[in-house]
Amino acid sequence: MTVEEIFSSKGRVKILRLLVEIGELNISEIARRAGLNYATTNQHLGILENAGLVLHKSFGRIRIYRLNEGNAYAKAVKILIEGWEQQGEM
Amino acid sequence: MSSYFTVFKDESKLDINYIPARLSHRDSQLNLLTRFFQFAIESPGKMAQRVLIVGKVGTGKTALAKLFGLKIMQMTAEKGVNLRYVHVNCRERKGSLFMILQQVILDFYPHFPRRGYSSEELLQMLIQVLDEQNVFVILALDELEALIENEGADALYKVTRINESRLKSAQRISLLGVLRGLEVLSVLDESTRSTLQRNIIFLEDYSKSQLRDILAARVALAFKNGVVLDEALDLIAELAEKEGGNARYGIELLWRAGKYADASAASEVAPECVRHASSSVYPVQKDAVFSLGLHEQLFLLGLARRFKKSKDAYLTMGEAEEAYRIVCEEYGEKPRRHTQLWKYVNNLTAVDIVKSKVSSDGLRGKTTLIGLPYVSAAELERELSKRLGLQ
Repeated sequence: MTVEEIFSSKGRVKILRLLVEIGELNISEIARRAGLNYATTNQHLGILENAGLVLHKSFGRIRIYRLNEGNAYAKAVKILIEGWEQQGEM
Repeated sequence: MSSYFTVFKDESKLDINYIPARLSHRDSQLNLLTRFFQFAIESPGKMAQRVLIVGKVGTGKTALAKLFGLKIMQMTAEKGVNLRYVHVNCRERKGSLFMILQQVILDFYPHFPRRGYSSEELLQMLIQVLDEQNVFVILALDELEALIENEGADALYKVTRINESRLKSAQRISLLGVLRGLEVLSVLDESTRSTLQRNIIFLEDYSKSQLRDILAARVALAFKNGVVLDEALDLIAELAEKEGGNARYGIELLWRAGKYADASAASEVAPECVRHASSSVYPVQKDAVFSLGLHEQLFLLGLARRFKKSKDAYLTMGEAEEAYRIVCEEYGEKPRRHTQLWKYVNNLTAVDIVKSKVSSDGLRGKTTLIGLPYVSAAELERELSKRLGLQ
């Protein structure tokens, strides 16, 4: 997927922002906090995971997602979002 | 406030949750406990241990367990072993295995989802987490009675047998049960009981001179030099001994005596302050009150207020509900209905905070009568208002 395709979705950016801020979350919680429904969230997470930006861990039926800190782009995304939050909304 | 004189140096050293660096007269038990868990330092994962600490109220069970937890984590950290001591109060977790295990897993994943799985699944997830992070856990189950009373033999059976289905892999969870007596174990099946009862550490009641040592150590930490008179200390030790060797009661009394000294602007804590304090301290467990749910606390607050104004020994359920509704209005909470309140009364009776009985002759019909014989209503009201954050 191209970079504009990945970041063109408000939902995906929201999810990334949540994971940067909170660390580890399960899908239902991500959906609730991002104001998305479960299926959409699941889809977005699938796309982000394929792009190498996030990782998940399964505990039985529960999947817990976090930012893939080993991925250089994910790190860059983290720096971008944290910097953005610090300087306040533009 | 600089002109305000206080006898205290550091009040927090008298807090119920404060764990002193050394427990007087419990050294041998601490050593024994460490020896039981020696393997955790030398060959972690080779086995799992189960130990019980048994003793009456105020004999230092919880303090011993927590102090041991700190020490063992230090010792294992030095050896590069990843061991975590997790202390869970079963009564605060409503005696539910699910909530107990959840507290453990939240220690590792603070945002772990709160529901959507069974306690069996939770146990499996916990093992998985421990395997992945290569962590060993000593799970201290304080007030183990609550778990057994609530869930019966099954829950404990599951916990004691976690490691058995995994003979080939590392044994990750050891248990440290803390309870008041062994009678409650009689409901367990033979095999669970025998695995639990192999290692028991009994804590005898403290004697008067031991209590005096303990109190003197706390005085040195919490009070300014020389403000607590020897006679006052002797009196507290004596009263605590009468309370069944209850050190916690003694420490509470000490704190309160200090408060009375401060209130009367005295420069020292004299026996008179102790006498004053002892008439207001009741050996009711403060933590029992504070582990109640919000609405149970509100209900209790209603009761306390009503009793403060009345001379009756008992209130009817109707009066209690009315008092509770007023409290709810004040706190902006939607009041619970009758059946729920009735359950609260049963629960409060079970933990010996209130006394309840069914009305007999004299009143029309049947109603539950509720009494508050163990604590002073004014005291309870003050504590609860402070706790609930509205004066």
